[in-house]
Amino acid sequence: MSEPSILFFEVNERQGVFHRRAFLMGGLAGAGLLALGGRLAQLQLVEAQRYQKLSAGNQFNYRLMPPPRGLILDRNGTPLASNRPNFRLMITKDKGMDVEAALDDLSKLVPIDGSRRARLIKDIARAPRKAPVAIMEDMSWEEFSRVNIRAPELPGVTADMGEVRVYPFGGAFAHVIGYVAKVSDRDLAAAEKDPTQDQDLLHHPGFRIGKQGVEKAFDTDLRGRAGATKAEVDAQGRVVRLDPEGDIRPTPGKEIRLTLDADIQNRALEVMGEESGAIVVMDCRTGDLLCMVSGPSFDANRFVKGLSGPEYKALAEYERKPLLDKAMTGTYPPGSTFKPTVALAALSAGVDPEQRVFCGGGWYYGGRTWRCHKPGGHGSQNMNDAIKNSCDIYFYQTALRIGPDAIANAARAMGFGQIFDIGIPGQKRGLVPDPAWKKRAFKRNPANQIWFPGETPSYGIGQGALTVNALQLAVMTARLANAKKALLPRLIKSVGGVEQPSGASVPDLPFSAEHLAYVRAGMAAVSAAGGTAFRGSQLGLGDIQMAGKTGTAQVRSFDKGVSRDSKDVRWRLKDHNLFVAFAPYDDPRYAVSVIIEHGGSSGGSAGAPRAREVMRVALLKDPEIRARIEKPMPMPDAPPDAFIEGAAPEDPIVGAPPPGTPQEPRI
Amino acid sequence: MTLSGGLSRPGERDRPIIKFMEIDWTFCLALCLIAGAGALMLFSIAGASWEPWAAKHLVRFGIYFVLMIVLAMIDLRLWFMIAYPVYVVGLLLLVAVELFGDTSLGAQRWLSIGGFRFQPSEIMKIGLVLALARYYHGLSADSARMSWRLLIPAAMIAAPVLLVAHQPDLGTAVLVASTGLAIVVLAGLSWKIIVAGIISVLVAIPPFIIFVLHEYQRNRIMTFMNPEADPSGNGYHIMQSKIALGSGGLMGKGFGLGSQSQLNFLPEKQTDFIFATLAEEFGFLGCFSVLFLYGVVIFMALRIASISHSHFGRLAAAGTTATFALYVLINGAMVMGMAPVVGVPMPMLSYGGTVMLTVMIGFGLVQAVRVHRYTEVTSGKGSLM
Repeated sequence: MSEPSILFFEVNERQGVFHRRAFLMGGLAGAGLLALGGRLAQLQLVEAQRYQKLSAGNQFNYRLMPPPRGLILDRNGTPLASNRPNFRLMITKDKGMDVEAALDDLSKLVPIDGSRRARLIKDIARAPRKAPVAIMEDMSWEEFSRVNIRAPELPGVTADMGEVRVYPFGGAFAHVIGYVAKVSDRDLAAAEKDPTQDQDLLHHPGFRIGKQGVEKAFDTDLRGRAGATKAEVDAQGRVVRLDPEGDIRPTPGKEIRLTLDADIQNRALEVMGEESGAIVVMDCRTGDLLCMVSGPSFDANRFVKGLSGPEYKALAEYERKPLLDKAMTGTYPPGSTFKPTVALAALSAGVDPEQRVFCGGGWYYGGRTWRCHKPGGHGSQNMNDAIKNSCDIYFYQTALRIGPDAIANAARAMGFGQIFDIGIPGQKRGLVPDPAWKKRAFKRNPANQIWFPGETPSYGIGQGALTVNALQLAVMTARLANAKKALLPRLIKSVGGVEQPSGASVPDLPFSAEHLAYVRAGMAAVSAAGGTAFRGSQLGLGDIQMAGKTGTAQVRSFDKGVSRDSKDVRWRLKDHNLFVAFAPYDDPRYAVSVIIEHGGSSGGSAGAPRAREVMRVALLKDPEIRARIEKPMPMPDAPPDAFIEGAAPEDPIVGAPPPGTPQEPRI
Repeated sequence: MTLSGGLSRPGERDRPIIKFMEIDWTFCLALCLIAGAGALMLFSIAGASWEPWAAKHLVRFGIYFVLMIVLAMIDLRLWFMIAYPVYVVGLLLLVAVELFGDTSLGAQRWLSIGGFRFQPSEIMKIGLVLALARYYHGLSADSARMSWRLLIPAAMIAAPVLLVAHQPDLGTAVLVASTGLAIVVLAGLSWKIIVAGIISVLVAIPPFIIFVLHEYQRNRIMTFMNPEADPSGNGYHIMQSKIALGSGGLMGKGFGLGSQSQLNFLPEKQTDFIFATLAEEFGFLGCFSVLFLYGVVIFMALRIASISHSHFGRLAAAGTTATFALYVLINGAMVMGMAPVVGVPMPMLSYGGTVMLTVMIGFGLVQAVRVHRYTEVTSGKGSLM
């Protein structure tokens, strides 16, 4: 490089260029700073509100607070489904979270075994970001506090107190109320398109959805609206501070009151014992269902927790089918309990009830001998005798006289062959056959389309294609007892305090009061001395009498000479035993229907005693009836107060039947 | 005192006390205010605690401030003399980093010598400025405008820039390159070449981005274009920084009350994004004040460059100022979502010793230029090297 010459103009030229360029650079820097200032003004002055909102969104986290599920009460306010506190442990997945390490830490505090761990890892992997996943439910207080103390060191882990559904009566209401369970993928898919559903709530690990019965049918009413807790959180999602003033309270679900009575229902399940069947009790004046039991039942609380595979399998495969609601879903031939309906049809058709039919134990018609259940026959029978003795020969012949259409019309008027709107799904219609039905049902088989003459006598004794359910039997009995109205059953008394329409504001029955009274008298005779259900129908409540009708539904034909009740006959081949009744006979209040599957064929053996026990509870709870009984009465063995006290409403546990009542041996 | 009266006497300006008085103390005050604001913010985000950042920040600043004063006293001719050696040493160290450097965060930037870790690229920021200033000092205006001699400064710039970019430290590479180019332009490069250069850079950017950049660097640029598209991934930094800034509003949320920084939503809140913390807690007024201080520092430094009688002094001071201004503008733009996240801190405000040291050494040079503005620098003493 050459020695720099100190030429004045050249020095000046370099200086001049530098000054101009330095000035330019200063200008550029100034412009740059101004641009920054302008950008600052844009962000901090113009768009400040937007960013303040975003900042608050960062800083504050609203955690969903599930609403308490609405209670389900019986007619007197006894909780049938309520909520209890539940300490649970949840983990919220976030970016960069080491799930394995978190579970390792947790397993030092609470027991997490290998298979649980594997399932949890899968659950957490599937859960969307920021959606909490339940690790453990129903922790003990010790476990809960242990985790809570360590919570600050366990990012994403929260131990909180939620609520879990509890059914205080376990199985007694399992079929009516149903149960709640975890939200399934199918539930989520179904709810996804529904804008009225709170998706966040559905995804909350503590949330349970109604799966059956009232819980399902009124799920949206029971659900309520979720609230939120406001918390200040840091970037790792850890709660720094709670802000209770910013909380949004959840709206609890609506309370649902049923027409059922817990005491009656419990007694019904109790008397059902090991048997398979259904008991329905209905108020003869209002249509309110006081009891609707299906046995054997299952503990609905197990479903809330989540049933294990083997547990579910055991329930589903048990031959007495505990998961099936036999009160609504099970349909059976009504057998002789159908005879009062046939009698009504006959009276309406102009049959003279005093006209006698001779029963010799068998009757030849259509090329075969039609047998009465009493081998020797009942002798000469009028309609009252025939109901009392459940004489088959009388009803074979009467059915033939009036024809299938008349019977079908009467059956429909009494409530058979239809589904009642009681608020919950699951009823089976059953079948009221008539010639028109045969034409429809056998479209492919014209030979069967005609109504064979032999079908009519069977119809008269409630056999053949005819099937009914226990609810329909109760409705029939209640209508008969009401003597006027075509009562409708009601199960839901009120929803959120709003009374549901009563079952009594309905049209009248198409039968004359006189005819109805005649049939009722026949049923009273059934339960009176000499009737088919005398022993099983004695209430032991003074002058209050129960009127009923027995029934046997044949499951299969047996060879002549083999007793259907013999011990050799396997359970599932035995006949169904049915019984319908109402009481008091002179002023009917309650109607009951009992179906005992494979309960054996002898009329009042399985059904009537159970109906009696349930009826006793219902009657004793009725203040007017109590007033009637509490009148001093000649009861030498025990003062009436002894057992009335035991059944008083404030002490709902109904114990052993009162002394002095003829006790039926348990089947 | 008759100090000012006797300044024209020969040798008077070489007296240390006079040199000390000649330092621009207003400028120093502005630096102190910025560093003080930094300490205040570091104190706040540590939860009103001197630990772990604020105290260290102040101690460092104090030490570097003394260093700056000492450097300001060094004769400009000595600066002139060591210009090439510093550059050569810097270049050798960059090569050494390439061969033996520590890997930190996926990039080789650090060199350890006797337990002391440092980034040679920082030395190069000073070395390049000194070397270019010295080279242009001996160049005529015509040659500086357009001649084959300009290939030498081009090579002087290219060598360190390529080495730094290869580490890869894109932010520093851009900074070093820009500083060098600023000196070339200030020295009087022909406008034709400037315009041609700008055009060719604009043309070269897209293929550069596509073929040369690393994946993460490309992602940063893509994210910068549209931060909202990926708020939890690459866009997170920019988004959170903008939220911190914007939510500060006019007056800020108040000292110690910035939820974005206090609750860790803001990444690297104590280093690259400290300006966002400041903006959140002190609002537009606080930010504007700090930007104003930066403006004061930049313009005062440029003025110091302009009053220097030696071309070396002019270019050295202006080059250093350019580096500083680029720091401020790049970091500011990055924090405000106007530039990709490149890892350039806000000088004096951000926590971190290396950049502060570089900047304070640079300002030592600027002050030396001021103190020695009448010193005649010739290459006569350059024979030392």
